[in-house]
Amino acid sequence: MRKYLHVFSISLQNVLQRRASLLMDRVGGLAAFLAIYFFWSAVLGSKDAFLGYSRAQMLTYVLAMNLLRAFVFTGRGWELVNEISSGKISSYLLRPISYIGYTLSLDMAQKTVHLVSAVLEVAVLVYLVGAPVYVPQRAETWLLFAAATAASSLIFFLLEFMVSSLAFWTSQSGGPLFCFELFLQFAAGTFFPIDVLPAGLQAALRMTPFPYLVFFPINIFLERVSRGEAAKLLLIQGCWLAAIFLATRLVWARGLKSYAAEGG
Amino acid sequence: MPAIEVRNLSKVFRVSEKEPGLGGAFKSLFRRKFRTVPAVSDVSFDIKEGELVGFLGANGAGKTTTLKMLSGLLHPTTGTASVLGFEPWKRKPAFQKQFSLVMGHRTQLWWEIPAQETFRLNQEIYEIPEADYKRNIDELVDLLELQDCLSIPVKKLSLGQRMKAELAAAILHRPKLLLLDEPTIGLDVVMQKKVRQFILEYNRRYKATVLLTSHNMDDVSELCPRILIIERGRLLYDGALRSVVERYAPFKLMRADFSGDVVTADLERIGKVLENRGPSATLEVPRHDVSAKAAELLSRFPVVDLTIEETPVQEVVRRLFIAGGKSGA
Ligand SMILES: Nc1ncnc2c1ncn2[C@@H]1O[C@H](COP(=O)(O)OP(=O)(O)OP(=O)(O)O)[C@@H](O)[C@H]1O
Ligand SMILES: [Mg+2]
Repeated sequence: MRKYLHVFSISLQNVLQRRASLLMDRVGGLAAFLAIYFFWSAVLGSKDAFLGYSRAQMLTYVLAMNLLRAFVFTGRGWELVNEISSGKISSYLLRPISYIGYTLSLDMAQKTVHLVSAVLEVAVLVYLVGAPVYVPQRAETWLLFAAATAASSLIFFLLEFMVSSLAFWTSQSGGPLFCFELFLQFAAGTFFPIDVLPAGLQAALRMTPFPYLVFFPINIFLERVSRGEAAKLLLIQGCWLAAIFLATRLVWARGLKSYAAEGG
Repeated sequence: MPAIEVRNLSKVFRVSEKEPGLGGAFKSLFRRKFRTVPAVSDVSFDIKEGELVGFLGANGAGKTTTLKMLSGLLHPTTGTASVLGFEPWKRKPAFQKQFSLVMGHRTQLWWEIPAQETFRLNQEIYEIPEADYKRNIDELVDLLELQDCLSIPVKKLSLGQRMKAELAAAILHRPKLLLLDEPTIGLDVVMQKKVRQFILEYNRRYKATVLLTSHNMDDVSELCPRILIIERGRLLYDGALRSVVERYAPFKLMRADFSGDVVTADLERIGKVLENRGPSATLEVPRHDVSAKAAELLSRFPVVDLTIEETPVQEVVRRLFIAGGKSGA
């Protein structure tokens, strides 16, 4: 366990050392975030509610999304693809450490930094433009939200890890990851809540794990679901997490096997 | 128990054949053609604990593939190997804590940050107690003269400095077995010498087993009493370096500078003349006759300078390849 904490701390230093790159990342994300925020602000106009969202709820959805993007959607997918196709991964396979654990530790460091930065951004925005913030009415909402976010972060990590490890087989190693990232942003509800979509599409999306990444956690926060429903959502999310965990392990093990047969 | 025990080890790669052009790519979508590449074929050998063995062979002979199997990166197609009592490709942590594979053209160091940080990381990964870590790192810094390279990001190190840091990172946990794939590649002569001295010192001090590949014959002649030669995946020779030299280089080279021109026909009485360019000549002399022939040369010719050289190991190995190699020594 200690080794993974150490990886976390080195990685934290590493991220902080590359301030320029971090800043670029944040500025890029911030631009999109502001655009979406002002878009919804304009759509809402002086209306108090829209598609079942109160003004505060809708704008809080956008604010919360910035936080979740920082905490959930930062991965090491491209690095993984790179390390697989360049063979750099060998140097980890030779050492007594689990590569998944190693990657998760690196990722956690990155998430920590991005989350702190995202919190500051939201705080500044709320202060500057006086954005209305929806504050949960029930105390346990905070707890449910934290649990849902933690699970969603793990689901994303595993999904991305699984898709990236397809690089063991394809020569266009980045292809699957690229498609995955594109689709994900849409399906998870990062641009807009998925309940503004047509009913058929919505129903289809609800059968996938994607809404459990951003949409449902924020809905729990906005208390648009009852306590019972929130518990049920968490349960389903837990099942997705377990299923994806098993699938990822399987894909990874087979990938390593094919690596040991073909390259190394 | 030998440190390494290899029996009938073979590795056959399956590579998909791609036809050139778009049409070819399209065709291969439906019917992929595979070609098999036998990289290592039926190789067997033992290496005792504490031995220093050189692994030689031309490009593509199968050296790296063998080392990858011994370190557990590659699964063999057939055959078995026992390394330090483990089956390498099971990748047991207990096994991984006892060996290191260093590849001259790959790095395990973290590129963006100083080598020191990778050392610390390896301390955690290999679970090295703090006291041992301190002792080992001090010793390595001293042996490899690493003082100035520790706190600079690895990407800013010179190739030689990086290689030394690489060795240090690989040896921090005091492996009992070192697998070195071209450890001196790209280094200048001085640095090569340092790396060789270090390998020898490590082998002596800790009775560590070392198996190294190299195209640099100085590495082999200075370090390895025993060599394995592999050609197109097959083991061609396993035995003492000395006996190969004696068998395939029964002659020594005599280089002489004269004060004036010397007639080749006269020189032929001393030994076979390989080259005669005015005032200097190179002759081949049977190794058991060297001192007598040297005396004769000195007394009969106006010799200004004389050197006697061993046939370069490269040349010996080349002859061995041509002869097809006969195992044993
Ligand atoms: N991953 C791979 N897939 C297919 N073929 C491979 C693979 N790795 C090696 N080979 C082939 O196996 C043979 C042996 O390669 P190997 O790298 O072991 O040679 P080597 O002795 O280390 O050569 P060098 O001195 O050039 O490093 C070569 O023909 C090479 O093309
Ligand atoms: Mg090689």
